[in-house]
Amino acid sequence: MLKSCSIGNKTVDLVLIACLICTTMVSDPRRATAGDSDSKSLIYCDIHQGPCTKELAGMRVTLDILPKPVTAMKDLKFLVALSGEKKNTTPYIDLAMPGMNMGPNRVELRPVKDNVFEGQGIIVRCPSGRRTWKATVTLPEVGKVEFLFDVVY
Amino acid sequence: MSSTEPLYLVLLVTGFTVGFGHCIGMCGPIVVSLSLNLKGKKVLIPHLFYNAGRVITYGILGGLAGALGSLTILTSSLLSFQKGVLILAGVLVLLMGLAMAGWIPSGRIFGDADAGSSVLAKWFHRLSSAKSPIAYLPLGLLLGLLPCGPVYTALMASARAGMNAHSAFQGFVAGMGMMLVFGMGTLPSLLIVGRLSSLGWIRSRRLIYKAGSVLMVLVGIYFIIQGIRY
Repeated sequence: MLKSCSIGNKTVDLVLIACLICTTMVSDPRRATAGDSDSKSLIYCDIHQGPCTKELAGMRVTLDILPKPVTAMKDLKFLVALSGEKKNTTPYIDLAMPGMNMGPNRVELRPVKDNVFEGQGIIVRCPSGRRTWKATVTLPEVGKVEFLFDVVY
Repeated sequence: MSSTEPLYLVLLVTGFTVGFGHCIGMCGPIVVSLSLNLKGKKVLIPHLFYNAGRVITYGILGGLAGALGSLTILTSSLLSFQKGVLILAGVLVLLMGLAMAGWIPSGRIFGDADAGSSVLAKWFHRLSSAKSPIAYLPLGLLLGLLPCGPVYTALMASARAGMNAHSAFQGFVAGMGMMLVFGMGTLPSLLIVGRLSSLGWIRSRRLIYKAGSVLMVLVGIYFIIQGIRY
């Protein structure tokens, strides 16, 4: 079946090799990390010690994850607090491992009081031993802010 | 259209994209080992059976996550088993690499001569001398349990679908469907790796076998260490 479909085995194999090299280069964690200019500047958030805060469009966005220490493969509570007047928008969090595609992992948040939102989520464990994760908090129509932190296995 | 239908498409695309990055890194060495173990035989059908086994395991795990409505309950009960599978995969790749390099008598492992007495040697003998490629199905079923970040993420979606289901059975079906779709998305990458590593396109295979065997030994050791630390 495969033979009858192929133009020529060598040609097909060369195309496959080229595709593989391209896709591997695109997904190479080192390349992606090196290309992520924010990665190094983002490493400041010690989520195990307490909440982390960043500025976004003139307001402070605070992220906290409970319980501590923040452990992979456990049910976690994510809290986002916004400073200033009450916002008419509900943020959400996208969890990702820098430079490694772990699949989409979104934490939907719900308001618990003015400008405070919470939701449940899980940070999955990577068998490679890598522990650094990025939480991107998005405020629709406002913008997004990223927090980089390590988790415990 | 049900609310879960877009999720199936997302999981299919996720499987496809993680396949060409994460899966090649994690499962690639195993797939290459299988191709080399076939020693020039046709590789497509055995790889299809291997991958079918892997996808079936994903489907069962997805069904369980959906029925339980929880990823953490499922993974906490699977943890020690997954650790064992990771170590076993490492041992398999390591032994295949050692045998291919000629550093241990390959006949005892690959079945060229006496199958040897150990369970592993007998298993290798059966696998390499099997006339039917269906022998690769149970291997896929077992190695589908390898711990893997993107699989966990997809299982999370299955568990969420289970939480929204009206019954455990409905959750099982939804979760299983999602993981089957995710698994199918990962097929192209691993089938391509399996096809390329069959070495049918290389005239002189000796050098590649040597280099491949060294890589397999290193990867096998890496898997074993990761399995012990997991």
